[in-house]
Order: sequence, then C-alpha cells, then structure tokens
Amino acid sequence: MKILVALKRVADPANHNKVKIPAAGDKIDTAGLEWQINPFDLYALETALRLTEDGKAPKTRLGEVVAVTLGPAETETNLRSALATGADRAIRVDTTDDALDGRLVAAALQKLVEEEKPDLVLMGKQVVDGENNYVGQALAELLDWPMATFAATIKEEAGGLLVGREVDGGVSTLRVKFPAVVTVDLRIVAPDSVRSSKTAEGFKYPYEEVRFAPLPAIMQAKKKPLAVKKLADLVGGATLSSKYVKFEAPPARKAGVKVKDVQELVQKLATEAKAI
Amino acid sequence: MSLPQNRYKADLRELEFVLFEQFGLGQLLQREPYQDWGEEEVKLTLSEVYRLATEVTGPLNAVGDREGCRVEGGQVVTPSGFRDAWKKVYESGFKSLIVPPEFGGQSAPRVLSAIATELTSGSNTAFDMYPGLTIGAADLIEAFGTPEQRERYCHKMFSGEWAGTMCLTEPQAGSDVGAATSFAKKNADGTYSISGTKIFISGGDQDLTENIVHMVLARTEGAPKGTKGLSLFIVPKRRVAADGSSGELNDVKCLSVEHKMGIKGSSTALLQFGDDGQCLGELCGTAEQQGIKQMFKMMNYARIGVGLQGLGIASAAYLSALEYARERKQGANAAAWKDPDAPRVAIIEHANVRRMLLWMKAHVEGVRALIVKGAMHLDHAMALAGKDDQAALYHQGQVELLTPLIKSYSSDTAFRVAELAIQVHGGVGYTMDYPVEQHARDAKIFSIYEGTNGIQALDLVARKLGQAGGMNTQRFLGDVAAFIEKNRDHAVLGPSVANLAAAHEAVAGSVMQLLGWSQSGELARIPLVANRFLTMMSELTVGWLLLDAAVIALEKQQGLTKDDRDWAFYEGKRHAAVFFAQQVLPSVVGSAKMLSAGDTSPLDIPDAAFATV
Repeated sequence: MKILVALKRVADPANHNKVKIPAAGDKIDTAGLEWQINPFDLYALETALRLTEDGKAPKTRLGEVVAVTLGPAETETNLRSALATGADRAIRVDTTDDALDGRLVAAALQKLVEEEKPDLVLMGKQVVDGENNYVGQALAELLDWPMATFAATIKEEAGGLLVGREVDGGVSTLRVKFPAVVTVDLRIVAPDSVRSSKTAEGFKYPYEEVRFAPLPAIMQAKKKPLAVKKLADLVGGATLSSKYVKFEAPPARKAGVKVKDVQELVQKLATEAKAI
Repeated sequence: MSLPQNRYKADLRELEFVLFEQFGLGQLLQREPYQDWGEEEVKLTLSEVYRLATEVTGPLNAVGDREGCRVEGGQVVTPSGFRDAWKKVYESGFKSLIVPPEFGGQSAPRVLSAIATELTSGSNTAFDMYPGLTIGAADLIEAFGTPEQRERYCHKMFSGEWAGTMCLTEPQAGSDVGAATSFAKKNADGTYSISGTKIFISGGDQDLTENIVHMVLARTEGAPKGTKGLSLFIVPKRRVAADGSSGELNDVKCLSVEHKMGIKGSSTALLQFGDDGQCLGELCGTAEQQGIKQMFKMMNYARIGVGLQGLGIASAAYLSALEYARERKQGANAAAWKDPDAPRVAIIEHANVRRMLLWMKAHVEGVRALIVKGAMHLDHAMALAGKDDQAALYHQGQVELLTPLIKSYSSDTAFRVAELAIQVHGGVGYTMDYPVEQHARDAKIFSIYEGTNGIQALDLVARKLGQAGGMNTQRFLGDVAAFIEKNRDHAVLGPSVANLAAAHEAVAGSVMQLLGWSQSGELARIPLVANRFLTMMSELTVGWLLLDAAVIALEKQQGLTKDDRDWAFYEGKRHAAVFFAQQVLPSVVGSAKMLSAGDTSPLDIPDAAFATV
C-alpha cells in the first residue's frame, strides 16, 4: 500500500511563546516561534506506519509512506523528523505560510496525489492552530474520492478500509474503497486501533502515541529522499480564496470582582453580565 | 505502590545553548569521526531522548523509589515497569550513541552522550544505573579484552541483551581497593576459578536481562599485595555456551540487597562468587595483574558519569522548585505586606524565594557548563589524537584536571540544590507528594561512590595539580586569565569579571601555597585543605564559564525585543553569571585566606578530646 501523509507545522502549543500580532493587524508574526508537527498529523503518520507493517515485525516495511508538507525551507526539519520516525520519503512544496489557505493546500495536494498515485491519503482531522477542519474534505471533493473523517479505528480489508468514526452518540462505521482520503482523530493511536492486512487480530501495540524515532533512524533520515517542488508548478496562477481581513488577539482577561453574597451575584449576573 | 506519573522536565533551549552557542559543538561535528552528525541530528536526538525520559523512565522514578528491589529465591526482582522500560530504552537505540560502529553504535561525540545521560539519569537515576554500568563493563572488554572476548560479550552487552557490573568493593576493601582478597585460581584449561565476596554491587543481580557479565577484581596465586596484584576477570552470571548463548548458572549468588537511603530502584547486591567452587571466570585480555590499570583507564568516564548524575538531579530539582514557586500563592507582595486585602501572590514574587531560585539556577547551569567543557575536551582529545598531538595533549590534560571537579562539585551541588528545592516547597517538599525529597535522598550517594569526594580532592591536589610538570594547571589558569583580560572592561559584566580576577588570583596563590608545603615537607597540612581547594577551583571554573556564557548571551540578545523568548533566555544567563560572581566568587578569596592560614586543629586535637563517649 502506498500512503501519502500530509503534515503541517504549528507553533508549539506547549512553549511560552506568544504568537504576536503586529499593530496593523494584517498578519500573524511568526518570527521566533518554535515549530512542531500538528499533533493530529503525527497521529496520521503513526497510522500510516501501522498500515504498512505487520505489528509483530515492524522493521519490515510492507508499503510506502510519503510525508508531505507545504512551507519554507525550515519545514524540512519537520520532514526529517517524520523520516526518522519511519516515513520512507518526503516532499516539500516550497511556499510561505501566508501564501496558503485551506483551498490552496487541498488543490496542491490534489496535484501531488495525481503525480504520486497513492492508495490512501491520511492527515489529521484538523490543525491545532487554525482549527479549520477543511483540507481533508476539500481534497476528497477535488479528487472525487471516498472519504472518512474523524477516524478512531482503521482495519484494512480487501481493496479498502473499515473505518470507525467517533460521532456524537456513538461510532459510525464506514467502508471506504481505495483510493480514499481519511482524516484521523486522537484515539487512532490506541494500542489496537489500526490493523494492517498483515497484523494479526488481537495484536496490541505496546504504546499509544507516536512511536519514538530510534537513533539509527535519526542517523539515516538524511539519506532518505526529500524532494522539493514549487507551489507555482503545482497550482500556478491559483490565488487565495480566503481573504484575511484582520487579526486580533483575544481580549485580555479583566480582573474579577468579589461579591458580598449570592444576591449581589445574581443581580450582577442579570444586570451587568446579562448572563441570566 | 505508586502510580506511574512523570514529574521530570528539562529545558532543551538551555541544553542547545551550552552545546552549540557556548561550546561550539558545530565545529567539533566537522571533524572525524563525527561527520555523520549535524545540528539537525543532535537536536532530534535530544528531543527524542527527552521524550524517552518523560514518557518511559520518568514515570517510573517514584515507583522505583517506593517499591525498591527485593530478593526472591536468590533472584533480584526490580520495581514494576523496569523490564518494560529496559526494552523500550534499548529499542530506541540511544544507549549506543558512543558505541563503536562495529557494535552497532553511532560514533556520536561524548558530549552529546553526556547531555543525553543528563536527561535519562535525571528522569530516573536508579533505572539509568543498570544501562550505565552495563556500558562501563562493556567498554572495559572492548578496550582490553581479546578479540574473542569482544565478540562474545560486547555485541550482547551494547545491545542490552545482557547487562554488566563492576565488582571492586569487598567488606574490608572500600576506598582501599588494594585490600581486596577475592581469589582467582588458574585452571589447566586457562580459565580461572573465582572465589570471594563482593559488596555494594550496583545491578549485581536483576531480572531485566538473561545474563549479567561481572567485571571482577581478584588476586591470582602468588600475586603481590595491594592494588598492583589485582587482575580483572570476566565472570558471567550464567556460563556462556560455545554458540554464545547463556547456559547454566555460574555459582555467583546474590545473598541480599542493601536497604538504602535513595536510588532504591537500583539493586545494590552482595555477591558470593564460587561458594560451591563452581564459579569460572576468564582473564580480561591476556595479562595478569593489570586490573587496576585497566580500571583506571575507565575512571574518567565513570567519574564524569557521576557528575552527570548530579547534574541530572540538580536540574530536575531546580525546575521542580521553579514550577512550584510559580504556582503556590502565599502572602502579599512585599510592598503591600500590611494590607490583609492585598491579592495573594505566587511565592516566586518573594525576594528570599527568588534568591534561592537564582542560587539554584546559577549552580545548575554552571555545573552543566563545567561538565560539557570536560566532555568537549575529551572529544577534542580523541579527534585530534594522531593528527595534532600537542593539541590533543592539552585537551587530555584538561580532562584529567577537571574530572575531580566534575565528580565532586557536581555531586555536592546536587545535594545542596535538592535541599534548597525542598526549602522552596516548604512543608510539602518534605512529603512524598512532591519529587524533591526523593531527589535529595537519591543525590546523597553521588559524593560517596566512584571515589569519595575526599578522595577526589586528594586526587586533584596530590596528583592532578602537578601532572605534566604542572602544565595542565598552568594552561587552565592561563585560559581563565585570557578571558579576564579580554572582558575586563565589559560594559555590563566588568565588575563581575573583576571578582573573577580576584578569585583567579586567590586560586593561583593557593596553588603556590600547596606547592610550598609539599616542597618543605609539610605534607600533613595538605589533606586538611584539599576539599576546600577543590571547591575554590570549582567555583572559579563555574564563575568563569557562567560569565563566558553571559558574554555570548548579551551579544546574541542585541536586536531582540523583550517579548522574544530568547531575550528572556539570554537575560537569564546574564543574571545567573552576575549572581555567581557577586555572591559566590568573593568566598573564594576568603577561602584562600583560610587555606594559607594553615590551621591544624583537626590534627592537633587528641582522639579522646572529640567527645567523652
């Protein structure tokens, strides 16, 4: 099986960096931010690796995983890290963050998919910065491929996948035929969430997160192929279809007030906060 | 029973600063044999090792402490989760950073392995000792074993299939290694029958690996007394069959494990060799009576290793205290202390807490710089050997000189940082609900094993200062002097550099004083001041390296705005250096006065006068 995994870098949510917005409010200032791969996309990478191996003998690769990102040269660090984690090769589409929107990313991925002809495209259900939950669905539409979103379990079966999706009120199970687009949710990395055609039923992975990049793989990562393509060569002439009008930071929290008693609280909630 | 929960954290930005910005790891990586390594590989390695520390070993730190090790039917049982962690740690490959490529390693610089050890050991000292000792034992066979021995043991030990130990100590032979009486009787087939009792053997028995390879110091028939008569033997727990597999038991019995103050997850075994006359060992290499020489070759690594254990815990304890100080609200800001309605503030706002935090920060970062400097010298010495022997000699000389400082100052500092971390926590720091009391208990052993800090001080004063005709010491003092000369008029750090200059003069004067005593036959005075001198020289080095970091940081800070994360990081470097220069370095000058005053009361007081009981 050949799988294309789309990765996006995001500002590390755990560090103390503040994402800055210049006074003009025309963009987000990304200078000095620390980057990491969007966590849901990392889960997609782990899913792809599990689908291309026998869980019992993960060292033998049974398929190909191609990691893809769109961004400036420094995003190659993120791709190298995906290669060290186990992806077989990588593609970077050279562009800058502010030259992109969801539709353009989907269009660029469409062209890459047409070149690469994978059986499956995997990505996170959404990106933790913009939270748009858009690219997977748009890509499936552009390709006119079957799609399953919010995958929590994936079992490979002949010619396709059985996908368990967590939805309000339960699990909806979809059967999708290859080629397909699947976006994954966080439970996809539970020990027995993903089963390739070779992984025995009942097998459990001994971890529930993205696997470690072992030292030998880190050292080999730079020997794995990493191709660079120009955005214009994929989607020449395409323009942004979303227009960013203005960025502003959420209002700072104001200091609270202490109330004397419940009555005053109720009164303030009713008259000042207008919450009741 | 304690639930696995990670409390460990590290500041990766600081680690990258020390490696790349202060000590120029980038330049080292361009040299043989490190070319496979680039900045990207180093950073990825650090972030993956950090994941391993926080996700695999860190969560077991308190578990190991609460459960400890026990002996069941002659077999040590390690704490819950240790077996699984052992597997994961070895699968990750990070224990073979500096293993030679022929045994599956990656020829990484020692300095990277050192920082990786700070993370793994800092997250769980007790666990990390099992792989640590295993690597040490395998290093010995790799360096001195016959080709067959390397083949038979090194692959399996470096890959974690088997473990290893160092068996030196006996009940009557602790610091006095030469008093060891374990006996090795040569058999007709060239093997040796080993008999004797070894105590305090870290990892002496465990249930993590199918075999354990003990490196045993023992005396052959007719060998002279003292350290010279000792030979080094390879003694596996299970005999190794012709096909290399582990076979029957080799009459090495684990009679008990110690009940210790700390590092409880590490088994400390009493081993009885040859109780039934069935224990077979092989000489490591081909010559008898080379044991102590062979062990000494590995001593620098082992002692730097203990320094790293100290650094690991000191850093963890500091960051725990910092986290607590930012969260815990108590009292009002000092400006509003009389106002009962003033908002309660986090204790990090209180001056005394800030003083303790900065004390910890300066010492932790200073010790880290000291160790990284030592490890970088080691790497440069190895990379330059045979290419530029003069330069290699300089670097090796600095390793020799700095090793006792690294071992002692780091281990003493670790205990003191842990103590202060408890103090910052207040009452809860004294409970097992917070990790810092365990840090203090775990850290205490560092000043004792691998040569007590008293022995380190004697090693420094009696051997290292005068080594190579005093050249290593002169080069060291010259390096500090060159920094002082260059930065004497630094706009921000000038006054602090002046304190460094005073400390430098004090240390140089004390070196002359020590030399004077040894030349005039007043040798008895020297052990009385050796510890003091080691501390003085350590503080001089740490003060220097902190100021060196601050000079670099202030340059890099230019052009950054205050809301940049790196601005605050560099600002931290400046304040740590100034604090140390203003509040620690002056004591070096005072210490020099005490040293030269030559008080001999500890010698003059009669034994009976210490107490009447």
